[in-house]
Amino acid sequence: MTFEIPFGPQHPALEEPINFMFKIEEERVIDVKTRLGYVHRGIEKIAESRNYQQLVYLSERICGICSFAHTLCYSQTVEELLGLEVPERAKFIRTILAEMERIQNHYLWLGLTAKEMGFETLFMYAWRDRETIIEMLDMISGKRVNYGVNTIGGVRRDIAESTIERIEKSLEYLEKRAEHYTRVCTKDPSILKRTVGVGILRPREARALCAVGPTARASGIARDVRADEPYAAYGEIPFKVVTYRGCDVASRMYVRIDEIKESIRIIRYALKKMPEGPIRVKVPTRVPEGEAVSRVEAPRGENLHFLKSNGSDKPERWKIRAPTLANLLSLCRMLIGVNLADVPVVIAGIDPCIACAERVALIDAKTKRREIWDGKDLWRYANEWYRRKYGF
Amino acid sequence: MAMENDMFKNLKEKPMTLRFPYERVEPVEGIRAKVSWDIEKCIGCSLCVRICPGNAIELIGRGRRAEIRYNVGRCLFCGECVDVCPTKAIYATEDFELVFNSRREMITHFKRKKNRKKS
Amino acid sequence: MVSEEIWILIEIFLFPGFLFLFSLAFFTEWFDRKIVARFQNRYGPLHVGPKGILQPIADFFKLLSKEDITPRAADKVPFRLMPILLLTLAIAPLFCIPIMGSNGLISFEGDLVLIMFIMSLMALLVFIGGWASTNRFGTIGSIRAGLQMFAYEIPMNLSMIGPAISAGSLSVSKIVEWQINGVWNVLIQPVGFAVLTICLMAHLQRIPFDIPEAESEIVGGWLVEFSGKKLALIRLANDFEFVLASSLMASLFLGGPYGPWYISLITYLAKFLLCAFILSNLRAAFARYRIDHLLTGAWKYLTPLALLQVCLIKAWGI
Repeated sequence: MTFEIPFGPQHPALEEPINFMFKIEEERVIDVKTRLGYVHRGIEKIAESRNYQQLVYLSERICGICSFAHTLCYSQTVEELLGLEVPERAKFIRTILAEMERIQNHYLWLGLTAKEMGFETLFMYAWRDRETIIEMLDMISGKRVNYGVNTIGGVRRDIAESTIERIEKSLEYLEKRAEHYTRVCTKDPSILKRTVGVGILRPREARALCAVGPTARASGIARDVRADEPYAAYGEIPFKVVTYRGCDVASRMYVRIDEIKESIRIIRYALKKMPEGPIRVKVPTRVPEGEAVSRVEAPRGENLHFLKSNGSDKPERWKIRAPTLANLLSLCRMLIGVNLADVPVVIAGIDPCIACAERVALIDAKTKRREIWDGKDLWRYANEWYRRKYGF
Repeated sequence: MAMENDMFKNLKEKPMTLRFPYERVEPVEGIRAKVSWDIEKCIGCSLCVRICPGNAIELIGRGRRAEIRYNVGRCLFCGECVDVCPTKAIYATEDFELVFNSRREMITHFKRKKNRKKS
Repeated sequence: MVSEEIWILIEIFLFPGFLFLFSLAFFTEWFDRKIVARFQNRYGPLHVGPKGILQPIADFFKLLSKEDITPRAADKVPFRLMPILLLTLAIAPLFCIPIMGSNGLISFEGDLVLIMFIMSLMALLVFIGGWASTNRFGTIGSIRAGLQMFAYEIPMNLSMIGPAISAGSLSVSKIVEWQINGVWNVLIQPVGFAVLTICLMAHLQRIPFDIPEAESEIVGGWLVEFSGKKLALIRLANDFEFVLASSLMASLFLGGPYGPWYISLITYLAKFLLCAFILSNLRAAFARYRIDHLLTGAWKYLTPLALLQVCLIKAWGI
């Protein structure tokens, strides 16, 4: 008996609205169709009427959890257009904050996946430990999410000496908890039964479908922007790119928990080696003409921003490619053949952030032609549509 | 069963959640919350109006007579206006528990004391 | 004569009859929620009544006052009858459990079989309720409930027969009396106790076996279309099933109440709360299994273990 089950846009397992239509036969998924667009906010359109300094705050709000990675990527793009060099201390502070955000994201992910599996206790514990890192971020920046610390030309707040001692203590606690979770996730029989062998993505498919982030690293592909094209202070900090070869949700879990430990090591190294100096340079308001691309390893994968400037103080075009958009195709491939009960676990396994992923590209199915529309085309289409419908 | 020890330890400890509103958490130093004006220091340069990403500040009048209308609903709590003000007329408060009953209450109008002209 | 009948009426309606059972059900729900919350490092119910003890009653009345929607495509008669039948069937076996003294209110030879039969009927009602709601998620949930019944019925009944074979009688009251004069069954049949605990978790549809109702996968499963008064009655029936499960564990394996009436109440409550604590602990400690894991695990491990336990009784001649 073939069922068609709609998953979303409202569903207890989903954080953000996305629609999957599954075709189920005897509890196995045989086909999946995706629909996006429920949380499209028009960010790239708003960007055309704000100046570069104000856009730092807009880029923060693309996503609540990986907000620092978006501001980092955007600031680096603008700094490349301006030909600016950020001071050393600012680079180290950016690295420390980016790694703290990674730790925070991975604890959140652990709790969410446990909730999808029905393991409420692990969910509560992971989010309780996440409070420690959020308090650190709160002490440094004054806010728990959307920190507002990054700016074009450096950072706005410094890390004081007294804060560094408290960071050390929290890092010790977090490391102990990460060890505990490694033990739990490798020994607990119910977690192992739910995650091992579920949601397989072979390395060949991962390469062909352009998977990024921990999803790709769990299939054995060592792809990490921090190591391939070092930005901020990563060129001076030695670290390991974590890969596992299991290709299933359990490997993604182990990759993320190991990345927490790796991030703790990076933060300790950076805190010791941080040079003195200014944290910010002055920035002109007008940006010369040009195009620039910048890539950053957000906690979920590779984040890419493209900026085109035309000499004024407002950008001409800003394009954002968030990591979840790149992982969606791999997700559709992973979901085929999976049990219906495992669907939320697999979806949570790629760490979806649908809010990052809403961009518009139009495909004409009849002529198989693909075009990208910009603002003028959308205006024209909207006007014509209303003219036709209401007859003026 | 791997979590048993942890669970029994938690049974004896005090819960991590707070009994809001009877127990609250202290805001950290340097928290970014609502901003406020010392209107006598304002010189009406409108730098804060231009830099605000959310268009939350409105300047009424000009120069030394200018008055400020501040809309908390649009404020991002980024603190750019505090950094950019040349006379330090804007200062950050620690007021983060903001609840309003209508949109009108979200707008604060900072008025100047009227100078009485000596006749 | 008259005082005899008044005494019977008091027993049925007040203690240990309806009033006591209703309060025990609400108290057990509070106890379960509080223990699970403390395991998870949070408070649990806090404000309604001292330490939140009146919270389940408040939830019950809140649900009673909500709008009760019947979908247009649902089968009206089974859909409307199912919660009432579920509640009735959940309260009925509790009269056979000894609470005051070692005789239940109703005790006859074979009331253990009656309890087992009513528990199977409850699982069947879950299947009918989900099927009658004609919702995609409800259908999947009810199919899973039926499959789950295949997994746990046999080991559960076998492990309940174990104490009956030792005591030589199929009446819960006689089993309790046999244990008072001899030794508790948990000491001579520990495997049976473990198997019964696991199968009762599956019967009660608690994590790790809440597969028919899996919230994050199928949005509520067989419960998805019930709202308002029907949902209130179903949740109350869940509480009564929990009381029944803990009482069965306490009476069949832990010796049940004994002694004069005030001591028997205290011993009954102590053993009952211990079994409820075990069930709450197991709920907080696991992730949710898949239906095929449950089926293979039950037929590979639970049923052979239960059979082994029954054979061992005969072999030792106890």
